[in-house]
Amino acid sequence: MATLAAAAPASLSLRSALAQSAGETIQFGCPVPMSGAFAANGKYADLGMKLAIEQYGKALGKPLAYTLLDTEAKPATAVRKLQELVQQKNARYFAGGILSSEALAMAKEAQKNNALFITTAGADEITGADCNKSTFRWSVPTFGAIERTVRPLIEQMPKAKRWYTITPQYVFGDGLLNAAKNIFKEKGIEHVGNSYHSLAEKEFSGYLTNAMAAKPDVLLLLNFGSQSSDALRQAVSFGMKQNTTILMAWASGLEQFESLGADLCEGVYFGAQYWHGIDSPGNKDLVQRTQQTFKFNPNYSLAGSYICTKIFIDAIIKAGSDDPAKVIPVLEGMKFTGLTGDEEIRPEDHQVLKNYYLLKGKAKSAMKDKDDYADILSFGKSFLPVAQTGCKL
Amino acid sequence: MNVYLLQVVNGVGVGMLYFLLAVGLSIIFGLLRFVNFAHGAFYLLGAYFCYQAVAWGLNFWLALLLVPLVVALLAWLAERTLLRRVYDRPHEFHILITVGVALVLQEVVILIWGPLGDNVATPAALQGVVMWGGFIYPKYRLFVIAFTAVFALLLWWLLEGTRLGSAVRAGSESAEMVSLLGINVFRVFGLVFALGAGTAALAGALAAPIRGVDPFMGLEALGVAFVIVVVGGMGSFSGALVGGLLIGIVQSVMSTLWPEGARLMIYVAMAAVLLLRPHGLLGRG
Repeated sequence: MATLAAAAPASLSLRSALAQSAGETIQFGCPVPMSGAFAANGKYADLGMKLAIEQYGKALGKPLAYTLLDTEAKPATAVRKLQELVQQKNARYFAGGILSSEALAMAKEAQKNNALFITTAGADEITGADCNKSTFRWSVPTFGAIERTVRPLIEQMPKAKRWYTITPQYVFGDGLLNAAKNIFKEKGIEHVGNSYHSLAEKEFSGYLTNAMAAKPDVLLLLNFGSQSSDALRQAVSFGMKQNTTILMAWASGLEQFESLGADLCEGVYFGAQYWHGIDSPGNKDLVQRTQQTFKFNPNYSLAGSYICTKIFIDAIIKAGSDDPAKVIPVLEGMKFTGLTGDEEIRPEDHQVLKNYYLLKGKAKSAMKDKDDYADILSFGKSFLPVAQTGCKL
Repeated sequence: MNVYLLQVVNGVGVGMLYFLLAVGLSIIFGLLRFVNFAHGAFYLLGAYFCYQAVAWGLNFWLALLLVPLVVALLAWLAERTLLRRVYDRPHEFHILITVGVALVLQEVVILIWGPLGDNVATPAALQGVVMWGGFIYPKYRLFVIAFTAVFALLLWWLLEGTRLGSAVRAGSESAEMVSLLGINVFRVFGLVFALGAGTAALAGALAAPIRGVDPFMGLEALGVAFVIVVVGGMGSFSGALVGGLLIGIVQSVMSTLWPEGARLMIYVAMAAVLLLRPHGLLGRG
């Protein structure tokens, strides 16, 4: 132990000496849940970062490398692992954080450590009240998710006047619910009821009984991940697909369709950040690369992690430096070929402006291949004006 | 129809599954004084075996029969080789070894079927809903209520009306006395453990078409099962039934009255029962 302890400071100083030299590796971190209920998302996020890092190999003549960090979906663990990687490998670039809670915690920690953090988590605060100079977000926050799903559906079905909502009770769910309520008010929609539920809920039959008693035209699911799958599965078993239109505003993409199966998804509307069928040069490139390397289509977790990593690498190359202080000004306002078409980073709140999609599940017989679960009905960019986000950088 | 009445009916549906989930845990504790944290893992195996059977094109009804038997056999093997060695040790050893078994089984499930969840189709004959006035209820859930009720009667008869049942009940009073009477108590222990695990697997298989399968469903089920056993009384068959129904109805009715607290109220109900009757509603002192 004594020798180890003695060796530690020496290696530290060696590392900082290396940090000055040109041959040093640019270190990335991939902090995502690799255990627990969100481990599947973490697994694909890991592949996404791997894909981006291997695609470039080097930036500014320095090799790129990354370390996978298991956040266990816990903010405290996420923060500790991020700190450790900063100290041990001098990592300055982090792309990850599937859950809003871990993402918010890591955003603060990244700023303290002079590191940059980019995430796909959903809570408005990330590029809102809790925004900071070091944090960026690729996914569309709750406002846009509702604008691009609820609004087009209302326009498509003018006779559907009664809407019922099922909402998880925390910042993310409330963000979606408030955005939906604003549209209901504007469009004269009757909000016939809402069921809040806890984040631990698995049994939705009680809420669905409530919903059915209110006789809605549309059932709007505002939960996420396995909870939205459970809610949808049980709603279908209660026969709600027959006389009610179901919209899941924040679907998690291909992996969710795979676990639900085509029969359940047929005729159901889904909001999505990403879909492998998007017709854009950036996406076609990713689909091809993913097929080549892994022999399957990219899902949202993989795509989000890939594009977040790519954004950082591109900015480092553009800045001609891997010093975060020099990379931030390049990122602010950066325009790039994204997965959803042309995307850009809004300088005032570090939010990527990108499309959000409305999908409709199709019948098994209409699927062209095993992943062709849904058609894209519409898409577009909707974001709160910076003044209303509450972000002051 | 009144929404509260609907919620009570729905609560009975939820509660019957909860009963099935908890009864094995209760019986095992009653006889063996053994705290089985692997109970949720047997539920998990039941659900995944059912999923696999249906994926192989096997008839769902056949799966419902075979899956609990296979899981019971696995549990019996585990009991013979592993768990039997720690019966006479303090509860901490039971917890340590069964939590270990549960984790191993969960990781094996992830290794074989992957970390993503999956769907199990409702058997064709039970798809759709029953409509009766304002009352709409999935046929499959009605079937689960009826099936579980019949199963509960059979189980009750097995425990109360057969020789095995008397040995089980006598064994839970005094294992030494029973073995002095020439009954192989260890064999009875093994059978009861397998029976308990088999009922958990049956609950998992029945629940699969309702809630799908995912590798973490075992842990979550274990929590609910313990609440029910504590509410109903450790080791009591009727306690598991009353506890399961009570928790199911509380959860369901609360999702109208106070939706955000529906999950919390399960634990509030448990705390209330513990304060008023520390041994559970039907537990022995």
